[in-house]
Amino acid sequence: MLSRAFAICFLALVAAGARGAEEFAFDAAEFSRKPLEFGSYVELRHDQFRLNPDGAFYKLNFFSQPRSVLNRSTAILKPSGKFSAGIATFNFRAHVERQVSSTGNDQANRFEEFSLSLKPHAGFTLDAGKVAMKWGKGYAWNPVGFVERAKDPNDPELAREGFTLLSADFIRNLDGPLQTVAFTPVLVPVTSDLNNSFGAPDHVNVAAKLYLLYRDTDIDFMFLSNGSRTRRYGADFSRNLSSNLEIHGEWARIEDAQRPVTNAAGAVTTTTSTVHSYLLGLRYLSERDTTTILEYYRNGSGYTGDEMRGFYGLVNNGYAQFQNTANPSLLQRALALSQGGYGSPNSGRDYLYLRISQKEPFDMLYFTPAVTLISNLGDRSFSVTPELLYTGITNVELRLRALFLAGGANTDFGEKQNSRRLELMARIYF
Amino acid sequence: MIKRLLTLFLIALAFPAWAIDGNELLRKVDRNLEPESYEMYRKLINIEPNGSKKEFVLYSVKKGRDKVVALFLAPSSDKGRATLRLGDNMWLYIPSVGKPVRITSLQSVVGGVFNNADILRIDYATEYNAEKVDEEKDAYVLSLKARTGEVAYDRLKMWVDRKTVLPVMIEAYAASGLLIKTLHFRDIKDFGGGIRRPATVETDSPLYKGYKSVMLYSQLKKTSLADEVFTLNYLPRVEDLRK
Repeated sequence: MLSRAFAICFLALVAAGARGAEEFAFDAAEFSRKPLEFGSYVELRHDQFRLNPDGAFYKLNFFSQPRSVLNRSTAILKPSGKFSAGIATFNFRAHVERQVSSTGNDQANRFEEFSLSLKPHAGFTLDAGKVAMKWGKGYAWNPVGFVERAKDPNDPELAREGFTLLSADFIRNLDGPLQTVAFTPVLVPVTSDLNNSFGAPDHVNVAAKLYLLYRDTDIDFMFLSNGSRTRRYGADFSRNLSSNLEIHGEWARIEDAQRPVTNAAGAVTTTTSTVHSYLLGLRYLSERDTTTILEYYRNGSGYTGDEMRGFYGLVNNGYAQFQNTANPSLLQRALALSQGGYGSPNSGRDYLYLRISQKEPFDMLYFTPAVTLISNLGDRSFSVTPELLYTGITNVELRLRALFLAGGANTDFGEKQNSRRLELMARIYF
Repeated sequence: MIKRLLTLFLIALAFPAWAIDGNELLRKVDRNLEPESYEMYRKLINIEPNGSKKEFVLYSVKKGRDKVVALFLAPSSDKGRATLRLGDNMWLYIPSVGKPVRITSLQSVVGGVFNNADILRIDYATEYNAEKVDEEKDAYVLSLKARTGEVAYDRLKMWVDRKTVLPVMIEAYAASGLLIKTLHFRDIKDFGGGIRRPATVETDSPLYKGYKSVMLYSQLKKTSLADEVFTLNYLPRVEDLRK
């Protein structure tokens, strides 16, 4: 019995010793490149929305099925892959989503990216297919994102669907204060069947971006031709002022921007003008590993407080009409307007974004608590989002966050559909 | 005259440290650690006080004195992330975000005790000036001061083995004099091509009591790359450099 115990102890010690020896062993051979590579992640999320019965967007979306709480569970699979042969690489990223909520079930299946890349040498690449372009330096908003889908400021790092396009990339490195020059021309064809969410059909849109790394500053100049969207020009910059402070900015000029403006009766006036949007931001890292991101965003196409009040008035009138007569016509008119600018996540003029995150507080590795504030500076309404991210389990991300909106009647965040949202998300990578 | 020369000679013998050029020694340390342009694989292990670990595998390339790119190969959650350093400028590319964002040297893309400056390290001689060389029985002790305020650590104290001219230990200090971390170089290994250097670098920090991070080196070799590889536009394609 005793000898057996000793034997077990000995084997355990040998095993521990072997583990100790293996602890720091590393042979890179197991990471040699393979021509065919796959990766994917599964995201499981549950959201509980506390609805805002006084909000215009609640009335708009729930006038026929009133409720105070909405529960939604979502499962997303994002498989991605790459096949390389010589100078050619085929890439794809798909999105498979199933959603169950108190109001019904939903699903979505799409390729977010599906493209062929040719790279004859380091200084030139040709891409054809569905590609997600990402222009601009802003964290929460990108007014210069001329050939991409709008970012969600509540989740700016979320992968977005691309457009089908043809693009090239020329890179040149230089000696001297101008260190890098890169030119990226893009063609975006739009028909009734292809890229129809980009804008008006039957156009081949020409866009381009010129990137310069000049005296340690990133500088971009952008252009989009008149076609499916109106002509626009843009520029951005980013620079590290010190080892812990970065500043960035964007500016966009949009010609012939159309803004439909409604009054409370539903009479719509459309104005056409050149608008300017811009953004200025900074990212600061303190000695205690606290990261602060602060951005000011001027939305040139956004609505003033008076213009927003006209829309909220229309919704309230429509809601009263529906309750009195069961006639939804005014609400349907408001719903149609909300598909445009009025319904965008940030439809106002002036916004402030502030995010403070603390990496690994109290020596707890892989825990990152954060709080995010988005405020409409015009009416001082805001959303505040505390969150906790844990990445301590290999290939697993866990995020818990709550979203609180406040502002009162006739304000941007006070008229949203929800007053509160609780989200629990688990992402598992393969 | 002869007497004076003899006196000077004896003084020179008595204080041989005068003959050591700290910056020259630092340049030798740099070249003994890595060729000026190289490719290599590294595993980073963050070890918590309870023994649990998190591992990252990176493929890195460097060109010249201050251009470095590192690509994450594992774990799956970080695969495809790439970081670029050009002198004092650093960027991180996350595939889902899709565009490079500027990061700073004091941040850490992997968590744990290693920060971005450790992971995207460029030549010590590019960032530091040797102010003083002390001598111990088996080592030179270099006191290094950052050349600019952009460098992650204001001062380094580096113990260099006399025989191998390789670092044995480095203490990194903030401008306030606070010890930020200590790096220990172990396990000298022959990587081929005349490269013989420590294959393991361990670090601990009084700021992270009980935590330890380890960097393991593999397949370090001299290479030649186009300048265009070290640009933001190339970050999504770094994988193509791997053979």
